[in-house]
Amino acid sequence: MPPLGHDTPVGHTVTGRTKKVTSYRTWLFSGGWPRFDGWPAKNVHTDLAAAQQSGLPTRAASGAMCLGYLTELLVDLFGEAWLSHGELTSKFIGIVDAGDDIVSKARVTEVEKLGSGIQISLDVWCENQDGTPVVVGTASGRVQ
Amino acid sequence: MAAPKRTDRLVAGEELEPFTFQVTEEFNENYLHSVEDFHPRYVTGVDGAQPIIHAGLLFNFSNLTRSPTFSLPAGVAAIHTHEEATFYDPAPVGSTITVSWKILDTYEKRERLYQVVEALITTDTGAKVLRRVSTNIYMGEG
Repeated sequence: MPPLGHDTPVGHTVTGRTKKVTSYRTWLFSGGWPRFDGWPAKNVHTDLAAAQQSGLPTRAASGAMCLGYLTELLVDLFGEAWLSHGELTSKFIGIVDAGDDIVSKARVTEVEKLGSGIQISLDVWCENQDGTPVVVGTASGRVQ
Repeated sequence: MAAPKRTDRLVAGEELEPFTFQVTEEFNENYLHSVEDFHPRYVTGVDGAQPIIHAGLLFNFSNLTRSPTFSLPAGVAAIHTHEEATFYDPAPVGSTITVSWKILDTYEKRERLYQVVEALITTDTGAKVLRRVSTNIYMGEG
């Protein structure tokens, strides 16, 4: 994926890699090793009964998984330097469960001059295999 | 020692006990598998730099549920609804990470309790890595 640059126009839209959410990956993320004291392997992210006991209709993969997907996209777009200045705001609006295919996307909303470089603002979101957004938000980063 | 206060009853200004952990190569790779991101920056490092900790790991291990004093009765869950993250510097694999939490606000909306919490992630060298302001909703009956 080409990184964002000084010639990136407002409206430019990019699509990240599709991620397959599986029970194993959800367990790795939210229930697997290393398991610190007090953190149960069975929780709302990994166990249907635990999720339903808490009022959820099904297991909900941790929102942090989608934050990981969005971060991957933003580091692809801005370079590793984004991890030294980037900002990401997100709202979790849908449940992600095992079996879902999640893809992260971004659309440039503003390009501003900032010193010798530019600051680029984006709408960002993750959507599932039906095209339904599950996480929506905004992000910004700098390009020299 | 007294049991910690239920986390859903913490109010603005109260803090949870910090959580400190070391991110080994194996620990980081565990997360690379879960989010399917095997970029060399996380595995071998690039341009002679050390490999860095994946942001997914930092997000997951800075949820307030990781605090040693996080406490909720069975049947109640904290659900993450909103997030504001500011990145300061990547942390190299091998770092010892400390996460500290502070409640910034609590409010009710549609008869549900919302809690806004700041998480600050730092390394053993004192470097700031990430600041998060997360909103959680509490669901279930305890």
